[in-house]
Amino acid sequence: MRRAVLAITGLAAGTTALVVLKGSPGAGQAAQDIPADQASVAPGGSGPAPGVTPTPGPAGSASAPSRSTRPSSTPGTKKSTATARPTTAAPRTTTTAPKPSTRTVTGPTVDYEYGSLQVRITLNGSRIVDATALGLPLGGQSGLRSDDVQARYSGTSGEVVAKQSANLDTVSGATATSGAYQRSLQAAIDQA
Amino acid sequence: MTYQDTYAAGRRTGTSLPYGGRSAAPVPPPPPPALPRRGPGGRRALAAVFWLGLVAAVLPWWLDTLAGSLAGTTALLTAAGRITGLVAGYLLLVQVAMMSRLGVLERWVGGERLSRLHRDLGATLLVAVLAHLSLIVVAYAGLEEKSILGEVGSLLSDYEDMVAAFVAAGIMVLVGLTGIRAIRTVLPYELWYHLHLTSYAALLLGFGHQFSNGAQLFHPGPVRTGWIGAYLLVLAAPLWGRVVAPLHFNLRHRLRVADVVAESTDTISIYLTGRRLNQIDMLGGQYFRWRFLNAGGWWQSHPFSLSAAANGRWLRLTVKVVGGHTADLRDLRTGTLVWAEGPSGTFTAAHRTRERALLIAGGSGIAPLRAMLEELPPGAALIYRARTPADVLLHPELDWLAQVRRTSVWYVIGSRDDPGPRQVMSPGGLRRLVPDVARRDVYLCGPAGLVDEAVRVLRRTGVPRRQIHLATFEL
Repeated sequence: MRRAVLAITGLAAGTTALVVLKGSPGAGQAAQDIPADQASVAPGGSGPAPGVTPTPGPAGSASAPSRSTRPSSTPGTKKSTATARPTTAAPRTTTTAPKPSTRTVTGPTVDYEYGSLQVRITLNGSRIVDATALGLPLGGQSGLRSDDVQARYSGTSGEVVAKQSANLDTVSGATATSGAYQRSLQAAIDQA
Repeated sequence: MTYQDTYAAGRRTGTSLPYGGRSAAPVPPPPPPALPRRGPGGRRALAAVFWLGLVAAVLPWWLDTLAGSLAGTTALLTAAGRITGLVAGYLLLVQVAMMSRLGVLERWVGGERLSRLHRDLGATLLVAVLAHLSLIVVAYAGLEEKSILGEVGSLLSDYEDMVAAFVAAGIMVLVGLTGIRAIRTVLPYELWYHLHLTSYAALLLGFGHQFSNGAQLFHPGPVRTGWIGAYLLVLAAPLWGRVVAPLHFNLRHRLRVADVVAESTDTISIYLTGRRLNQIDMLGGQYFRWRFLNAGGWWQSHPFSLSAAANGRWLRLTVKVVGGHTADLRDLRTGTLVWAEGPSGTFTAAHRTRERALLIAGGSGIAPLRAMLEELPPGAALIYRARTPADVLLHPELDWLAQVRRTSVWYVIGSRDDPGPRQVMSPGGLRRLVPDVARRDVYLCGPAGLVDEAVRVLRRTGVPRRQIHLATFEL
């Protein structure tokens, strides 16, 4: 019986310790920085590729090395190779447009009932061409809600691109997630 | 398989059979050398596996959770709920595995210790399940701004597999509560046992919600695969330990009742024969769970210790008649087939930590000690308390063992509270009989009162806890 008491005490102490260790505010700053860094890197990294759906984060960085390896024969910086590719593949919007053709803007992190999210939109000029939510809770019912909202709102053919505003229809069964999405999206549009 | 009966099995009493009075009686071969030791290495390895598994169960949560992402009370509660959920899921698997009768567990850890661990872990599991349930309900209620009851309703109606999960929790609470000693002793054994069997249902009912709602197990990946793999292993363990291995053992050895001998008015010895008995890897002091395949007894399985060491020709168990089942054993016919599961237990000479041993038997507890004496190194000591001289069992065998294995045997006659036994069962008394008692392994078998008292006295005498070995199924 003494062992049972010890084990139960250990369970309580262990659970508390784990939660406290993960929840410590010192570590919180670092975690918040990660998406911010990704967001600031993304606009520079995503090359001028109009019409192409820029998938966020990993895809953008993955395409960079592939670009640098392909034209390895041409000596030059990464910048020159980056500009070299679209000239062959895409219309020459890059050189003519005064502004870079697409850019991404990331909205603030919005906390809601099941977690937190931030919306990143990709704009071509002033037109939203893509949107996605980052940091959505995965798994469980919250994950299902996340998936629903992502499916309705995000993507190049999602409701955000269709309506060009943050005034979206709420996804039924995912009110909180929809609301958080719209708040972050509105802020991102305001920033853009 | 009642614990009381098990215990009674060890508590076999009987008058001594006159030495050589029966043809099948042991004509002792020259004493074999003492068994090599089987240290606690196997047990420690299993303990290490347990702790590694616990870490592995919680690790996915740790890796999935961003540091600092737990802002606010509800997030903290949810996190705690997830941790306790993972721990509870893991402990349930361990609980089932521990009762799987796998040979490794039965012989490395021992049935008695497993039972105690199972009870203690069961209490922990119950707390973990209740903590998981209440933390998640409170946290989700806070998130969705509902009342607790409203949240329970929403969990039951909106979330997949949650009805089954709540049923599983209910079963576990019921099983856990009936495991409490005060309640268990009141319940009929059969009810308790069948209620315990529904734990398997809890295992299966609780399965779904872990994957449909568990944040760590929802997405396909190594964690989910590993968790499912653990479930499959744990379901395979009882199948192996309770079905396949016994089937193999019994088809191989085909044990039969050879003879039933009255040892005293209330004690019988059952002699068994079979095939390839010299190939059974068993030790004196271990027990089997026996099922006598006749009309009245085939459906009951009861653990009884062997009361003689392996000799390759016959097995013997000695049983005190205490209840309906044991009374029926008197009428066993010669030739009755016997289904045995085992051997089990670490109450053996091989598990000693020192060269010398002191055995303390109370009443019928002499049976496993008698078997063990044949396998201990010479120089062991035996203190055997019996209520009356007529209650001293196996007297001639013990006297013979005292000679050939140079064992000192003291018979202490009288009730536990009589002056004589009280005097022996004191630090001074023990030291007078066995001056080096603190440097010996002490094996105890007998009524719970005697064992408890003896452990207290031994600890006061300076015997380290790890040198004290108990053969008791008392929980």
